[in-house]
Amino acid sequence: MRPLDWTVLFAALAGIVAYGLWKGRRTRDLEDFLVASRRQRWHHVALSIMATQASAITFLSTPGQAFSDGMRFVQIYLGLPIAMVVISITAVPIYHRLKVYTAYEYLEGRFDLKTRTLAALLFLALRGLSTGVSIYAPSLILSVIMGWDIRVVILIIGASVMLYASTGGARAVDNANFLQFLIIMGGMIVAFVTLVRLLPADVSFLEATHVAGNLGRLNAIDFSFDIHNQYNFWSGLVGGCFLSLSYFGTDQSQVQRYLTGESVAQSRLGLLFNGLVKVPMQFFILFIGAAVFAFYQFTQPPVFFNPVETERARTGQHAAQFRAIESDYASAFEAKRAAALNYVGALRTGDTAGADAAAQELKAAEVRADTVRAGAVEIIKEFDAKPSDANYVFLTFVTRYLPAGVVGLVLAAVFLASMSSTASEWSALASTTVIDIQRRLVKRDAGERYYFVSSKLATALWGLFAVSFAQYAGHLGSLIEAVNRLGSLFYGTILGIFLLAFYFKRVGGTAAFAGAVAGELVVLYCFFFTQIAYLWFNVIGALIVIAAALAVNPLTRRQK
Amino acid sequence: MRSRANEIEKPHADEAPPFGRSWATLYVVVLATLAILVALFYLFTRTFG
Repeated sequence: MRPLDWTVLFAALAGIVAYGLWKGRRTRDLEDFLVASRRQRWHHVALSIMATQASAITFLSTPGQAFSDGMRFVQIYLGLPIAMVVISITAVPIYHRLKVYTAYEYLEGRFDLKTRTLAALLFLALRGLSTGVSIYAPSLILSVIMGWDIRVVILIIGASVMLYASTGGARAVDNANFLQFLIIMGGMIVAFVTLVRLLPADVSFLEATHVAGNLGRLNAIDFSFDIHNQYNFWSGLVGGCFLSLSYFGTDQSQVQRYLTGESVAQSRLGLLFNGLVKVPMQFFILFIGAAVFAFYQFTQPPVFFNPVETERARTGQHAAQFRAIESDYASAFEAKRAAALNYVGALRTGDTAGADAAAQELKAAEVRADTVRAGAVEIIKEFDAKPSDANYVFLTFVTRYLPAGVVGLVLAAVFLASMSSTASEWSALASTTVIDIQRRLVKRDAGERYYFVSSKLATALWGLFAVSFAQYAGHLGSLIEAVNRLGSLFYGTILGIFLLAFYFKRVGGTAAFAGAVAGELVVLYCFFFTQIAYLWFNVIGALIVIAAALAVNPLTRRQK
Repeated sequence: MRSRANEIEKPHADEAPPFGRSWATLYVVVLATLAILVALFYLFTRTFG
C-alpha cells in the first residue's frame, strides 16, 4: 500500500459515510426511516438491490472461484431474471397497494398472526446470524492481505455503517448503496483493464484467454443434468430461480429496497434492470478471475495464496520440506509457462495438430504443478484443517501487481461492498424487529414517533450485535460454515408460504402453517440424509409446503 | 387486516411502464436477453473450452 492507495481508500470510505449522513439528514418520520418515504426512482432501487446482493465476498470469492474451478458458477444466476419477472408481476403490486413496511406484514392479512410471526422470526434468526458473518468473512481476508488486526477492520466497517444507517435509515442506506455500487463496479473495471495490460507483451489477450480455456477455466455452460451438481444449466435455471424468488421476494433486506420505489412502475423497473444486468455482471467478475488465472500462467504465482498461512508453513516444523516444495513448484511453473508459450505459438501459426499436441503438453504441466502444490497444502493442513486460498487469489494479485491508486480503489470497492450489504441487512432487521415484533406483539398503538425512535435504536443494536458476533466469529470454527448454510435450509419453506399466499387464495393460515412444518422437515431430511445439491432445497421446500398445505386445507376448513 | 388485504388485492388497472409499450414487452425483453446470454455463454464455452 502506497500513500496514493491510502488516500483513495480513506477518501472513498469517508466520502460514502459523509454522503450517507448528508442524504439521511432529513429523515423525519417512520416511513422516511423504513422505506425512504417511498420516493426512490428506479435506478436508485436497481443499484441498491444489486449493492445489497453483492457483498464483499462476491468480489473476493467469485474471481477466486473462476481461478480454481472455472466459470461454471455463473449458471447459479440463470434463474434470477425469471424470478425478477415473477416478482414484478406478483409481489410488487401487492406490497405497494398494501403500503406495508415489511414483507411479513402481508402474511397476517392473507393468513394469520402466527404465520406472519413465524416468517418474521425466521428472517430475524437467519439474517441476524449471517450479518455478523458478512462482516467477519471479508474482514478476515482484508486483515490478512493488508496486515491489519482483524478487530480494526471489523470496527471500521461496523462503525462506518452504523453512522449513516442508524441515523438516516433506508433513505441513507439506499443512496449510499447507489454510489457504492458505482465505485465498486468502477474499481472492478479498472482492475480488469490493468490486468489485461499486465499480460506479457508477446501474448495477446485472446491468446491468454485460449490458454485459460484450454485449462478448463472458461466452462460457462454445462447442459448435462445431475441433481448432485449445483453448477449446471438446469440447477441454475430452476434451483437458481427458486433461490432468487426466496431472496428477492421474501427476504426483507431485498423487499425493503423495492418498497422504497415511488410507484409500482419504479420498483418493477428496478427489479427488471437487475434481471437484465446481473447475469452479465457475474460473468464479468468471473471472467476477471479467469483472466487472473491466465496472467499466472506467464507470471509465477505463490504456491499458496494466503500469505499468513504460507509464512507459518515456512517457519513451522516442516519449514525445510515446505521450501523444497516451493522450489519444485517454481520448476513446475517454468515448465508450464514454456508449455503455455508453445501453445500460444501453435495457435498463432494456425497449426491445428501442433496446437492439439501443445494443449496436451500444457494440461500435463498443469497436473504436475497441481501435484506439487498439493504437497504444500498437506503441510498447511497441520494448522488449518480445511486450507483454501481461493478467496485470497484476487487481492493477492491486486496488491502485488496493480499500480498505485488502483490498489486503493479495489480495496475501497471491497470495503464498500461489505458496507452496502451490511447496511441493508441492519436496516431490514430493524424494520422487522419494530414492525412485526414490537409494534404488533409488544407495544401496540404507541405512536409513530415512538416507533421511529425505536427503529433507530434497533438499527444501532443490530449493528452492535453484528460487530460483536464478528469479533468472536474466529472462535466459532465450523459454526460459521453452518450459518452460511442455514439460509438454504429455510429459504424454500419461507418461499412456499409466500407462494401459497400469492397464488392459492383458498388456503388458510393453519394449512399454510402445517405445510411449512412439513416442508421444513423434508428439507432437513434432504440435508442430513441425501447428497442433493443445496440449490434444489429451495425447490423441494417450496413445493412440499404447497402440496402439504393443499392436502391439509380441506381438513382445517371442515373443522371450522 | 384480512379484509384490507383481500380488498386491495382485487385486480385493477395496471400502471403503464415509463418506457416500452407494455409491461409484457419489458418482461419479454428480460427473458429474451437471458436466452441470448445462455446462447452466447454456450458459444463462449465451445470456442474456448
